[in-house]
Formats: sequence, C-alpha cells, structure tokens
Amino acid sequence: MPQPKGKKLVYVPEDLLEEVAKASRGRGETISKFVEEALKQAVRANKAGYHPQQLAEYFEVMQAQKVLGGAFVPLEVLNYLTNKACQEEKEQLSAKWYESGKWHGKYLKEKFENPTQAFKAFLEASRWDLNEVEIKKEGEKVKVRCVSPLLTTEATELLAKFIEGAMHSIGYQTQKTDCLRGMIVIKFK
Amino acid sequence: MKTSKVKRKTFVAREDLIDRLSEIAKQKGYSLYAIVNEVFELAVKAEETSVDLRKIIEERNVLKAAREAGFLLGLESLWYEMAELAYQKAKTQALKSWYEAGVWLAKRYATGEVEDPFAAFKKDLEAFTWNAPEFTIEKAEGKISVRIISPRFTESYTVLLTSFLEGALDAFGYKTTSKEISRGAIRLEAFKVEEADAPA
Repeated sequence: MPQPKGKKLVYVPEDLLEEVAKASRGRGETISKFVEEALKQAVRANKAGYHPQQLAEYFEVMQAQKVLGGAFVPLEVLNYLTNKACQEEKEQLSAKWYESGKWHGKYLKEKFENPTQAFKAFLEASRWDLNEVEIKKEGEKVKVRCVSPLLTTEATELLAKFIEGAMHSIGYQTQKTDCLRGMIVIKFK
Repeated sequence: MKTSKVKRKTFVAREDLIDRLSEIAKQKGYSLYAIVNEVFELAVKAEETSVDLRKIIEERNVLKAAREAGFLLGLESLWYEMAELAYQKAKTQALKSWYEAGVWLAKRYATGEVEDPFAAFKKDLEAFTWNAPEFTIEKAEGKISVRIISPRFTESYTVLLTSFLEGALDAFGYKTTSKEISRGAIRLEAFKVEEADAPA
C-alpha cells in the first residue's frame, strides 16, 4: 500500500505566490496542484539536463520564433537552396535576409529588456550550426562574432545581412564588417 | 533581483519533491529559495501564454531532436523564397537535393538504436513541421498515408517537400503509389515495396 507523501513548508516571495495563485485559478486548478505539477516538471527538466532559467530563456526564444514564423529545414537543403538561390538573385536574397533580420530586431526590441542579449539567445537556440556566438558590449560599441565551419560562403554572407538587419532595428549602426566563409565579425555603434 | 526586503510567504508542498529540488539546488550552488522562485516564475510565465512546463520541456526536446536530425530553425518565409528561386533555376537538381535529404533523415532513424524507427521518424517529423496546421502520417498494414495542409506553402516548397517525403519513405522501404499535390496540400500513399510490386 503506498505511503502518504509527507509535506514541507517552503518560503517564496509573497507577490510571486499571488501570481502563482492567479495562474492556477486561470487553469482551474488548486494552488497546491499547480505547484506540485510545476515542481514535478522542474525535477523532470533537471533529469533532461535543463535548468529552469535555461528553459525560461529557451521558452522566450521559441515564442519569438513562433510569432515570427519560424520553421525547420534540413541543413543540407538550406545550404543547397542558399547556393542555388544566390547564383540567381544574390542581391534580392541579401535584401530579404536583411529585412528578415530587421523584423526580428524590431520584435526583440519591443519584447525584451535587453534585446542584444535576447538576440544572442535567439541565435544560439535557432542557429545551432554556429559553433560560437558572441555579442560583446564595449561601451557604446557592440561586437557580434559568429563562427561555424558548416557555413558556405553564401550562407555566411546572408547570415551577416540578417545580423545587420536585426542590430540596426535594435538601434545600432554598422561600423565595420569582416565576413569570410564560416566567420562573421561585425562591429556596431 | 530578490532582496531580503521582499515579503515572504510559505506554501506547503510534497516533501519528496522539495527534497529533490533541494539536492538539485545544492548541486548547482543555488539556495532552495532561489530555485523554487525560478520554477514558479517560469510556470507563471508559461501559463500567461497558455502553455505549461510539461509542454515547454517537450518542445525543448523537439529542438534537441531537430538539432540531432540536422535541421535548422529559421524564418519560414525565407525558406520559401529560396525554395522558389532554387526550384525555378534548376528543378531537377532541387528535387534531387530534397529527395536525398529525406533519404538521409530516414536512414538516420532506420540505422539507429530506436525500437521502432518509423514511429520515431514520424513523431519527430510531425513535431518539426509545426508550421503546417495539418500534418498526419499514418501507417497500417504495409501502407503509409501522408497528408499535409498549409496555406502558407508556396507551390515550389510544396513540390520540394513532397520530394523530401518520397525520399524518406523510399529509404524506409515504401514506394509511393499515388500522390496529389497542389499548392499547400500534399497527399501521398506508399506501399511496402514487396506488396506494391506484387501482382494485384
């Protein structure tokens, strides 16, 4: 026969507990059921190697992807499409990637307190073909650096345009761009 | 950042869960208070957008699976645009490229350690195609039926995705015997190769 589970008292900030109460009411559950489920999932997430804070960041990025119209595509197919499409309409394609970046940047600026940090999380979560994503703030300047041996020359150039578009929308202007196959270094002010 | 001036309240929770969280917090150099706060904040944030933590973890797993399967996440409209240009420029080559990507993906599952490779492929593919409002793959008695509807697909993207699916089905040993394709709509039927080849 299963033993009844013991209980423990835990402290949380009052306002947070009120938010939890509101959220549980919204779902039509008691606070204790809502809390139990949240704690269970936190333990489950830990088993899968996810920390609540990482899940929170991931969640925001995925929400942004869904709002902005994110879709999965096989990397090989993307490389093929990029190379083929670039042969045909490089200028047009660059403009599209730039516009897409601008749109992402606008959204991040509206939605996040620290849009450059959110953009970094966004790149890390969605562009896992990138081995390194660095966005470093030095006073008024920001350096964006992305490295990936998987990127073709065309894919590198298009991603650079996307980054420029996003950073321009966030409020920076390009100072210097270094772009070679698999590596993007752009300085903004 | 929380400070000591923050008013605190207590709540009652299952001891085993609290003990487990306490261990996790210790391993990560956190206090139980901090980790419980993070969990609650995340749960509230999720609830505000009508999802729950279970769903977030599942989606996180989808992203992990997509990464392992060689998929990238990007803006749908850009993929369509590029598919359009590539298809117009070199139709046969574009179809071949997508077909091969389908073969590659299916082989990854077929040669993996999973108990039912097709079921794993189906589960992941359904999760990866969140941009299609309707995506069903059904398998019964040597037959596979695929149905995809998405008003956003361009004509070229629809054709290329069909080629991708045909490649995958082929790699699983199924031959496509009928297909209906129109912009934004795909319907495929495929039979196990021995059965399709057998006389009626």
